[in-house]
Amino acid sequence: MFFLGSKIPADLLGGSWYIYQRYAPLFWAGARTTLLISLSATIIGLIIGLIVASIRNVKFTPKDSLLSKLFKKFMHLLATIYIEVFRGTPMMVQAVFLYHGLRQYIMWSPIQAGIFIVSINTGAYMAEIIRAGIQSIDDGQYEAARSIGMNNTQAMIKIILPQAIRNAFPAIGNEFVVNIKDTSVLNVISVTELFFQSNSVAGIVFRYRDTFLVTAVIYLFLTFTTTQILRAIERKLDSPKGFGGASQSMPGNFPSLKRKEQKA
Amino acid sequence: MSLIEIKNLNKSFGSNLVLKDINLTVEEKQVVCLIGSSGSGKSTLLRCINLLETPNGGEIIVDGQNIMTADFDINKYRSHVGMIFQSFNLFSHMNAIQNCMVGQTEVLKLSKSEAKAISLKYLEKVGMLEFANQSVKSLSGGQKQRVAIARALCMEPRILLLDEPTSALDPEMVGEVLEVIKQLAKEGLTMLIVTHEMSFANDVADTVVFMDQGVVCEYGSPKEMFSNPKHLRTKEFLARILR
Repeated sequence: MFFLGSKIPADLLGGSWYIYQRYAPLFWAGARTTLLISLSATIIGLIIGLIVASIRNVKFTPKDSLLSKLFKKFMHLLATIYIEVFRGTPMMVQAVFLYHGLRQYIMWSPIQAGIFIVSINTGAYMAEIIRAGIQSIDDGQYEAARSIGMNNTQAMIKIILPQAIRNAFPAIGNEFVVNIKDTSVLNVISVTELFFQSNSVAGIVFRYRDTFLVTAVIYLFLTFTTTQILRAIERKLDSPKGFGGASQSMPGNFPSLKRKEQKA
Repeated sequence: MSLIEIKNLNKSFGSNLVLKDINLTVEEKQVVCLIGSSGSGKSTLLRCINLLETPNGGEIIVDGQNIMTADFDINKYRSHVGMIFQSFNLFSHMNAIQNCMVGQTEVLKLSKSEAKAISLKYLEKVGMLEFANQSVKSLSGGQKQRVAIARALCMEPRILLLDEPTSALDPEMVGEVLEVIKQLAKEGLTMLIVTHEMSFANDVADTVVFMDQGVVCEYGSPKEMFSNPKHLRTKEFLARILR
């Protein structure tokens, strides 16, 4: 075991394959952590984005009292500061600052901190994505909702956001794919995700080139699979409702036609 | 007492005065058709009545209540005032019956089964029962507008406001929508209709109001208005449209 490096085939592919076989559990444990953090952070980020985008979408009405106007202005300002700060600084810096900065108050594990940091970072991007989604919805939808007596919140939750999310779905899915790759910066706060694990393996075998080919292939596998799953969901969202699922043999549901056939 | 009383209503967009001192009363069970060239403020007047536009001055009194006071419950009021839009504005992520149900369950707080029964009743009334579970995207313009009418009726409105309900429709689909509206008029629903269909206005209206450049120029029964208009602008408008 003294010269472990000498057992490893010298060529790139042979070396990578050897390293993968020997350290597969370490790689996949890292991949699992990467997926755990990126998936949960994307979902939490989406929720944050929905809330922040809704706050930014609140409109002033002439009936508002001075106090509620000030409150709305204040919330707008907070939302804008949040978005600008978290989109305008590197996630790596946010990770180091927040992890160590908040450690005095919360004793959190690196993974918890990682989920928290990626979530609020994603939230800032999601807020902009959802805002664009909301803007893509025709004003008439909002007016129709208000005209049957819905209040602003009901109109948002029941009418605007479902359509905005559907329109923004490709961009939301893209955030997930970006997160799978960007969680690699969390190695600076020693989260044991895929990059961190690869670094450990590379340190043991002392073959950075070969180890990180394995890492790259695993990342590619994760992002490619995710993209395919997201595409499938996208296709499903786009299919018009009421036209039956793929399992139905009838192309459409036209009861009026059926009735005429019976009469004839 | 009149159902709707509009007194000295003013509305401006920026420096552009769109409604100037509008005075209008609508009795219960009356059908009022608003006619006039585009930009005359007809749609704005309609939108002021359910407060989609906030008027700048004047009074709108519905059922003895001034709807423009600060403590007025707008959402509750709107649930009793149906609105039909030129571009239908059906909720496009829902099917026909969900469009009808969502207002009842969210605003009127009815149970799902109650809402469903009421929705089916009104979808049948507008002849759209067989399309209840169909996506609104797959419907034709006329069918969409009929679902929109059913959606408004499901809220059991006291007043129905129709903003050019047939203007976005292909000519062959105008008839089916107008038939539904005529039926509602017969049943005594109070309606304000902005329309360019003069023969329809003639058939259905109790009062025809001609608006021009933000003022009510002339109003009267359809018979007077169409056969014997008094105002010069009305004559010109009708001559152009009835050619």
